[in-house]
Amino acid sequence: MSRVRRRSWHATAVAGLGIFLVVVAITVCAPFLTHYDPIDQVLRDAFKPPSAAHWLGTDRLGRDLFARIAYGGRFPLAITLVAVSVSAIFGTLVGAIVGRVGGAVEEIAMRLIDVFISFPSILVGLVIAALLKPGFGTLVLAITVTDWTPFARLARAITLEINTRAYIEAASAVGAPEPLILRKHVLHHLVGPVLAMGFLRFGHGLLTIAGLSYLGLGAQPPAPDWGAMLAEAQPYMMRFPILVLAPGLIIFATALSVVLAGRGLMLMFDAPHGGPRA
Amino acid sequence: MAALLIRRLAFLPVLLVFVSLLVFFLPRLAGVDPTLAILHARVPERNPDPEVLDRIRAELGLDRPVPLRFLSWLERLARGDLGYSYVTREPVAGLLREGLAVTATLVGLCLALAVVVAVPLGVVAAIRPGKWLDNLIAIGSQVGVAVPEYWIALLLILLFAQRLGWLPSAGWRGPAYMVMPVLTLAFRPIAYFAWATRAAVIEAMRMDSFRAARARGLTRTRTIWVHALRNALIPVVTLVALWLAGMLGGSVIVEVIFGIPGIGLVLYNAVLATDLPLIQAGLVFLISLAVVINTLADLAYVALNPAIRLSRPQP
Repeated sequence: MSRVRRRSWHATAVAGLGIFLVVVAITVCAPFLTHYDPIDQVLRDAFKPPSAAHWLGTDRLGRDLFARIAYGGRFPLAITLVAVSVSAIFGTLVGAIVGRVGGAVEEIAMRLIDVFISFPSILVGLVIAALLKPGFGTLVLAITVTDWTPFARLARAITLEINTRAYIEAASAVGAPEPLILRKHVLHHLVGPVLAMGFLRFGHGLLTIAGLSYLGLGAQPPAPDWGAMLAEAQPYMMRFPILVLAPGLIIFATALSVVLAGRGLMLMFDAPHGGPRA
Repeated sequence: MAALLIRRLAFLPVLLVFVSLLVFFLPRLAGVDPTLAILHARVPERNPDPEVLDRIRAELGLDRPVPLRFLSWLERLARGDLGYSYVTREPVAGLLREGLAVTATLVGLCLALAVVVAVPLGVVAAIRPGKWLDNLIAIGSQVGVAVPEYWIALLLILLFAQRLGWLPSAGWRGPAYMVMPVLTLAFRPIAYFAWATRAAVIEAMRMDSFRAARARGLTRTRTIWVHALRNALIPVVTLVALWLAGMLGGSVIVEVIFGIPGIGLVLYNAVLATDLPLIQAGLVFLISLAVVINTLADLAYVALNPAIRLSRPQP
């Protein structure tokens, strides 16, 4: 890859990370950024256009839209963070162990992974979230069920590559126990690519979570939630498009920032992609 | 090669049984009582007489031990008897088939559009890597991947149905109804396919056969479009197959927004109504379909690309 391309990737990755941090800062510092309560209804102030008092205007119940957006990110971002972290840890462990052990275990694990990777994640998430009443844990489960597999594949691919190195063979020959080999020699090779993959999956997970909450399976009203805000605004979007533009835009911006960061990191760590499933 | 094929295919039934197991036990784990679900689908009574519940259970065989019920369900599934919907009493197989036909049309159109748009874009990007067009396409593919499809759907409806009145906002009664859903769903595949095509073409340009064609005197552009593309299409076709598998169930939100009676909407309604036979048979069916398509796609990829090693490298 040309030098120019490398540098521009670096720039977009940094930009992505920057935007993401800004979004997180907005959600975390929401109480300091706005004095409005996101669930406080002021019906006579409904559907007000953006102004100095209400930066993005108000929604159908007179709630300040900026406050709803700022607070509305906490639930989806928190769930996605937990879900992707759990998936990453579980998936990487499975992938690395399977990559070391090999043989029939590896074969079975890969076939299992094939199954889980084939699950249409939104559909599975939908079924899980709907059957086991919506809640933080349910949504985390809904995402994790399918999300651990890309990590497992990645970890296995990297582990297989490391297996061929001389120092690994030497360590085995000397009689070092597997957990030690994994910890000392394999782990640090995994951190970078797994982190990169984590960013990419965060974007995918956020889109899924917001989609599920659009369908009503996310944070329950009156709690603010980006996806649910889209659904609420739908009947009024012709007259007040900002109600649909704002939540959608922030979901998009957050997902985009994380994807940019992730792709940049992937290139930086030169992570193996292995075929069209990257 | 043959051994690999046999191994992968032999695993399939095992996987499908495993999937069925998961799907069968999921509602039980969720605490859903099938007897209550059946009752609630027919009657508003929320506090049924326990005697009535027992009678229903006995009649429907729901009082048998769970492993027995699972096996008998599995056996019926294998025979093609997918049960009857709690809500409409129609055979599940028919409902799934009708839904699948609609979704297949939607997804088929979408992937066709995606390929027609993305492949040329990818080739163009590969012809002049690093130049502005390539960068534009690179950015475009990043953006396409991160776009929330439900947002795009709403924006399209806002513009084309509400503001301009050119297209109907929901339903599935003709070509006009297909435009927006297909466009909405096409964003992500276009982004991925363009990027994959670009990578595959660049890879193909490194092959000896490419240099040979150039040495024979063909222009660079022509060689790329004719020779490199042919080789690049192998991984791209595999990618399209994988997406097909994923989109058959993954189109659910778009189907809900546009009111398209596809298999996603069928399952969505089934989940809302706790229509267990439909949910379970539908999930098993879709997942099985996805697994089969994925396996075939992987095998095809390996078959066409023997450089890929699938097993642990020998020392």
